[in-house]
Amino acid sequence: MAVNPSQEAVRGAPGEPRSAGAPVRQSSLWRDAWRRYVKNRGAVAAALVFFLLLLYCFAVPGFWKIPGIWTSLRDVDPYQIDFPNAYASPSLAHPFGTDNFGRDLFARTALGGQISIAIGFGATLAILLIGVVYGAISGFAGGKLDNGMMRFLDALYGLPYLPFAIITLAIVGVVNFWTMVVALSIASWFTAARIVRGQIITLKQNDYVRAARAVGARWYRVLGRHLLPNTLGVLIIAIFLELPGVILGEAFLSFIGLGINPPDASWGSMAQDGRDAYRRAPHIIIVPSIAIATLVLCANFIADGLRDALDPRTRES
Amino acid sequence: MTAFIIRRIFWTIPVILLVIFMTFVLMRQIAGNPFRQTERAVPEAIQRNLEEKYGLDKPWYMQYLLYVRGVATFDLGPSLVLRNRTVNDIVKDHFPNSIQLGGLAFLFAVVFGIPLGVIAALRHNSSVDYGAMAFANVGFAVPNFLLGTLLIYLFAIRWGDTFGLPTSGWATWKHKVLPVIALGTGPMAIFARIVRGTMLETLQQDYVRTAKAKGLRWRRVVLVHVLRNSLIPVVTAAGPLLGFIVTGSFVVELIFGIPGIGRYYVTAVQARDYSVVMGVTVLLAIIIIVANLVVDILYGILDPRTREART
Repeated sequence: MAVNPSQEAVRGAPGEPRSAGAPVRQSSLWRDAWRRYVKNRGAVAAALVFFLLLLYCFAVPGFWKIPGIWTSLRDVDPYQIDFPNAYASPSLAHPFGTDNFGRDLFARTALGGQISIAIGFGATLAILLIGVVYGAISGFAGGKLDNGMMRFLDALYGLPYLPFAIITLAIVGVVNFWTMVVALSIASWFTAARIVRGQIITLKQNDYVRAARAVGARWYRVLGRHLLPNTLGVLIIAIFLELPGVILGEAFLSFIGLGINPPDASWGSMAQDGRDAYRRAPHIIIVPSIAIATLVLCANFIADGLRDALDPRTRES
Repeated sequence: MTAFIIRRIFWTIPVILLVIFMTFVLMRQIAGNPFRQTERAVPEAIQRNLEEKYGLDKPWYMQYLLYVRGVATFDLGPSLVLRNRTVNDIVKDHFPNSIQLGGLAFLFAVVFGIPLGVIAALRHNSSVDYGAMAFANVGFAVPNFLLGTLLIYLFAIRWGDTFGLPTSGWATWKHKVLPVIALGTGPMAIFARIVRGTMLETLQQDYVRTAKAKGLRWRRVVLVHVLRNSLIPVVTAAGPLLGFIVTGSFVVELIFGIPGIGRYYVTAVQARDYSVVMGVTVLLAIIIIVANLVVDILYGILDPRTREART
């Protein structure tokens, strides 16, 4: 018996051959998840619509910049003001109509979508990052520290993020992508932190973590190699759980006039434009709102599908 | 149980102090001073007097302690912009409207959301279930500014003569119908989804099968065994939902021109009325924190299994 076995030796030692190590199991986990996800028709449809929406937002405004065949397809500048055509209802020339400045809403909704979606994903990632750090520290440390950190979260749970987002924007005084990300994530990370902490605590009980500890792996190796990679599943689900709230949050901020500044647009600021003209041209508020609703709906269905696929234990039977 | 309650109450005190501190630190970062705006320039000496009167000349930690003392004695200080009014006056003027709006919306969500979830679960995988869940999903996804605007457009303008509902204001019950629907639909959808989930879970339990096997009438099984146990987890959703309603009320108050605290908050931020912004933020945070406390204690009473795990 080796007095001080190196980790390589231990990994190869127990009964199973080395090929039964982590990478193989992981790939089969993802393949299983994929199979389960594809079976869920609603989730697949939602993912498809989500993809089409992304394609529309990011491809349409880009098309007219690329010389060649696309230029003829829709050569419309979302910033082009055309007062004689203001408040036009949807038509062939303007599939979604025009806004109060006569700007084409088909191009503008795509532009607003880029900003809304970018802020949405940016803030979601920021929320998850804070959540992972806080949750991992709390769950991994355990004991009194964990207790204190969780009591703190218990009490803050459900705190409305909007007042804190408004104050944050007032402090910075500038509204751009980064300040919106900070404003939307500053008081929204509590749920994410709870999810990560719960996952870490469950994972800590696993035999392979105990085994890693027993062979003398340092805490950062246990955390970085065994615990954090295994939270990836819940984190992917959490992206689509957080996204709707953040997208709606951005829309709320822009709608009450504290968001993206003109002439740039987000779906929320476009809805605010439409709010002033809802009697005369209801499509100006309806178009961006439907875009928001579609995105939120898709994200919900994708999150449900992912939960069934990646975390089958919690599935309803 | 008593130990759990005492410990839980004890923990809210440092959290409230911390929330006040966070708000306080954030507010101090805001550029500009209410007394140094160009359009209201006053002589240097008067400026100094004003800052002294409002305690702005003291070191920050003294300001913080004075503020905490004020919060503890329900005195949120004077408004910095409206000279002859205190934050308490403003809260008294605007907050009741917001509480009424939020409370009615919450009631709307409970009254319509819970039955919707129950029916969907009892008719699992039927067209009723799919219809209810489609409705709930759309209800959650549609932003309340669209819902509010559509409601105004349809029921106050296009068919205004039939329904006789006003477009804005908060005077009579007619003014309250549309805002409450606009604010309550989102929480209603959330309630419906949660109740459906917990109901489906409870229906699988052994004690439900036992009750059925004993030959109890199905209605009794549902009402006594399933519903009661399914609604307990729903209690935990009440805290976050309150935050959801607070957030939504900012928008709904704006759309319907309701003189509530959310609408006032936005103007106060723009006018740099520090004390109003701080006071309202702290007030909202304390309400949510206390609501969480009540929910947690209630949950401990309703479901004895959670007590040991949490003490």
